[in-house]
Amino acid sequence: MNEKARVLGAAGGALGLGGFAAALCLCCSVPWVVALLGVTGAVAFARLAFLIPYALIGSFILLAAGFWLANRRPVTCAEDGRAGASRRGLQWLVWIAAALVTALSAVALILSP
Amino acid sequence: MRSSIAAQIAIATLFGTSACADATDTPATPAYALLDEAGTKLREDFNRAGGSVRLLFVVDPVCAVCLRGLDDLNRALFASTDDPRLQTFVVHVPVIGAEAKDILPASRLLPNPHVRHYWNPSGAFGRQLAEATGLRRGDELVYAWDVWLIYGPNVTWDGALPPRPQRLMHQLPTLQGNAEFPRLDAGAFARETRRLIAELPALPTRQ
Repeated sequence: MNEKARVLGAAGGALGLGGFAAALCLCCSVPWVVALLGVTGAVAFARLAFLIPYALIGSFILLAAGFWLANRRPVTCAEDGRAGASRRGLQWLVWIAAALVTALSAVALILSP
Repeated sequence: MRSSIAAQIAIATLFGTSACADATDTPATPAYALLDEAGTKLREDFNRAGGSVRLLFVVDPVCAVCLRGLDDLNRALFASTDDPRLQTFVVHVPVIGAEAKDILPASRLLPNPHVRHYWNPSGAFGRQLAEATGLRRGDELVYAWDVWLIYGPNVTWDGALPPRPQRLMHQLPTLQGNAEFPRLDAGAFARETRRLIAELPALPTRQ
């Protein structure tokens, strides 16, 4: 797996887990869970609330991994400087993911049932 | 022309009977009563059930956490008893956008013959109950929904507001850590209810 895929995987995973935690927290504040999943599905979804802290911790661990992968010294250096530009793009991506995960975590913590 | 009219009558009859079937032909389907601003119907039913242990739940039928509470209590308490000395009143309020049509699916979570459902479209009951129970966070009144109350057999609803319960549990984040009102623990709630039922005179044994 190349570097870009690893960083994308870590940032995407962090966002996914953060979104999952926020969705679990929102399930008492918005009626969409029952509309989407029905009563039985909503009850099952609400039972997953115990996963919220684990999802948030997992999200931040993946985010840390994303930062580490995007900022570590590259094993080989490209002579034309394109690798450096690509790396800056990945670093921006991880920062954006970090901002979104922070926002989702804030939602999760404020609305936590 | 005549056959077309006959077909229309047949279709209307079919739809008419299926609509009635929903309302009347299925006794297992719990109906709900409309609750006015004063909670008149609930007060009447509550006082009529005096002498039995009474439970009062206030939920929004599209709130997943409220529904989980109903399901937890069904597993911990209702699934193992149909004792008529336990009477339960569930008031549905539209806190996050519920409509009357949402009550029926939610009510299926408590398939017990001694559970009655009420719909309070104005939501006034939540404010009255908050005032009656002193549900506060600091000086601020906390709207009473996702709350689970136990009343002993001797309590009567005399005044305009509901009486104070023996126990009130909740699932409200705003009341987290409140010593007077603990978070809903279905096991503890069921144990306290069973203890109160056990103190009542035994039911006459059937011959």
